[in-house]
Amino acid sequence: MAVTRFNRTLLASAMGLAAASISAQALAQEPVASIDLMTTTESYDPIRYEAAFMIAERWEELGFEVNVQPTEFSTALERFYDQQDFDATILGWSGRTDRLDPQFFLSTLDSRQANPGGNNPGGYDNPEFDALFDQQSQAFDQDERQRLVMEMQELYKPDAPLVVLFHRDEVVAYNHEAFDGFEPMAGEGLYSEWGPMEATPVGERSTLRIGGPQEPDNLNPLASTSVWGWKWMRLYYDRLVRLSADVEPLPWAAEAVEQVDDTTVAVTLREGMTFHDGEAVTADDVAFTWNYYLDQDYSYFNSYLAALDNAEAVDERTVHFHLSEPSASFASISLSQIPILPEHIWSQIDDASTLSPDEVPTVGSGPFQHERFDRGEFMAISKFDDHFHADEIAVDGVEFIIYADMEGVYTGLQTGEIDVTAWRMEPGQISLAESEDHLTVVNVPDFGYFHMTYNLRRAPFDDRAVRRALTMASDRERMVNVLLDGRGEVGSSVIAPVNTFWHEAFIERFDFDMDAARAELEEAGYTWDEDGRLMR
Amino acid sequence: MSSRRSYLIRRVLHGFMALFIIATLLFFLFRLGLPDPTAALITEGLNPEERERIRASFGLDRPIWEQYFIYLANIVQGDFGYSFHYRAPVADIIWERLGNTMILMLPAIVLAYGVGAPLGAWLSWRRGSRADTSGIFVGLMFRSAPMFWTGMIAILIFGIGLGWLPTSGMRTLPYDASGFLDKIFTLDFLHHLILPALVVALYYLGSPLLIMRNTMLEVYGEDFIEMARAKGLPERRILYAHAARNALLPVVTQLAVTIGLAAGGQVVVEVVFSWPGLGREILNSVRTSDFPLAQASFLVMAAFVITLNLLVDILYTMLDPRVSFK
Repeated sequence: MAVTRFNRTLLASAMGLAAASISAQALAQEPVASIDLMTTTESYDPIRYEAAFMIAERWEELGFEVNVQPTEFSTALERFYDQQDFDATILGWSGRTDRLDPQFFLSTLDSRQANPGGNNPGGYDNPEFDALFDQQSQAFDQDERQRLVMEMQELYKPDAPLVVLFHRDEVVAYNHEAFDGFEPMAGEGLYSEWGPMEATPVGERSTLRIGGPQEPDNLNPLASTSVWGWKWMRLYYDRLVRLSADVEPLPWAAEAVEQVDDTTVAVTLREGMTFHDGEAVTADDVAFTWNYYLDQDYSYFNSYLAALDNAEAVDERTVHFHLSEPSASFASISLSQIPILPEHIWSQIDDASTLSPDEVPTVGSGPFQHERFDRGEFMAISKFDDHFHADEIAVDGVEFIIYADMEGVYTGLQTGEIDVTAWRMEPGQISLAESEDHLTVVNVPDFGYFHMTYNLRRAPFDDRAVRRALTMASDRERMVNVLLDGRGEVGSSVIAPVNTFWHEAFIERFDFDMDAARAELEEAGYTWDEDGRLMR
Repeated sequence: MSSRRSYLIRRVLHGFMALFIIATLLFFLFRLGLPDPTAALITEGLNPEERERIRASFGLDRPIWEQYFIYLANIVQGDFGYSFHYRAPVADIIWERLGNTMILMLPAIVLAYGVGAPLGAWLSWRRGSRADTSGIFVGLMFRSAPMFWTGMIAILIFGIGLGWLPTSGMRTLPYDASGFLDKIFTLDFLHHLILPALVVALYYLGSPLLIMRNTMLEVYGEDFIEMARAKGLPERRILYAHAARNALLPVVTQLAVTIGLAAGGQVVVEVVFSWPGLGREILNSVRTSDFPLAQASFLVMAAFVITLNLLVDILYTMLDPRVSFK
């Protein structure tokens, strides 16, 4: 029998252990349950697919039996969220701007989200965590809330209910001979709502051209469920609050946001705002919009509306939001999500979800106004000169060219057809873009993440020591270096490092360490049989 | 003549039968193949009640048989349902995309067959010559080369390198067309059409070329050619008026099948050139689990193939009276 160096150490430690405890207890031990590791198919996402095999290799080295199961994406989602039929699964959360507020990612560990369909399919259950979750979500004081959020991260991390594998950088590029002045936004890249407001023409053309392979599903503010619909719509709809590029809530259509009492938020509107059709924006429009969203029961925004009982116009420029319970994220996040709709148009529409594309109104009050949407080809908006922010905007409009894939987008960037990419470039294109004189390549860190979640209801994941050992045996540094070509960051907490205000940097890190993983298991009473299989 | 009429009626009935079977297959394949047909409708973090409500709004909570009969009844009325992804009637989307596809594919196919068939005839006449071998080589090469590869080479040379031709889309944006005709009857459109149409044409060229050449070689051995030669007709006239007419049948069959399949678009060429056609749309609809759109697209494709096959059968009876009506 060929004995490798690894096997020798393993044998040595196993023999040492055996000598110490070759007793009735050891004889009664059984191999630990084998692990099905569910991931996406290679064609859907080669990175997650490869990551699963990298993990499996190390876990097997540790003595587990691991079966990697590449699964079609929607099946994986269903088995993970609805049926909770999995041992360990690699999936991801995208970094949507509103998730920069800690509320959402922390809720993925809330035991009340552990029912089928909820956001905590792993079933982590820690009453202390839940209690802190409620406290932070009601803490209006930012510093107090920050302290609670940090505490929550310190609390859950040693339990290792999941591994935040890595945050993948978004790599985008723009033509600096045509436009400059962009400030990338975490999770959004260059095509953020601020992009068109910050871009400054350097060349002759002052219409900014963005290119991407994704297009809105539709432009109905009560039916669109895609990020791409909202990325476009929020350029021509105003919100009361906009999140700055540093993700600070900035009063926008609101001149002031004040708390009247625990459950009442008062918003004072800016003076002199008009919709694109010339009608004034009033407190009635704002109150109407929010109540309309409540009535229409449009699920995409339900989480932002959950705390709201109703909105009430108190006078021409003041709206009171009556909440059912105190909510810290309402003023910062909810107010930044719901677009202000003109009451004189939408009050005529009974069921907004059934509007055909031609019937959908596109009148907003935003800094740009809607011009065109030719499905599969093109979208355009132009600057709205009567907007309060219009003087700060250097472009006279934005055109979005829709390509079939990133290959087309890159060719467009190369030939000068477009100025900015809306979506991350393919790995092969990055080095090409870097060698082009007219292009600037930008790495934007993401706060969304890929995670491996353990099903805590099942063996062996019901044992904290196993979870900790498996986490230590996941070589995430290598994933970032090899799979992401160094363009990303090893995950630590569900609140990403780039989210500096909420991220707790001083928590247990679980660096890759096979010896520590083995020690963790030994300490918890696990042994290995002569084949190196883990026994308990 | 009556046998001809009953033959045609029978063929049309067969066509409808085939469509019905395909529609049924599509319905059940998509229902059984997709774990959750509402995946496209549901966003992350939606609770089960909301999910149920959305399913109900699309009638997905009803028993599958009921859904099936509603689906059939709707198709008969030309209603293909409502796209989950776009929240728009499927028919509108398909007709527009189909138009875009055909306006790319038809010129390309006409070009391929217009050049390929006569070229094949000519090659057969010069069989064994250097022209023959290189003709076959070129035809086979473009037929075997993946279209995305030919397409990307064309983009590299004519789009990026020389900068002569646009590399994506149907028109220079923001050109705003008032309608479909306005969209296609412009120089700008032709400019955009050249590269993708050429790539498709080169790909298709091989079939008519080889079929024509090989059938011609067979026809040369027939008695009537001997007869024509004996009559002292010029070789050129024998070639085109006598031999070619008879060799045309298989080419016509192939042409019809090609046009039928072209309705689905060449996904690859539509993606490489960002052409907003039906092939690209089908790809997207599968990606977004938008099965009302996907199944209707496949049904339209099937209808095209069936109809064109029917047309071929009718054409056969005209081109070659010996074709029987059994």
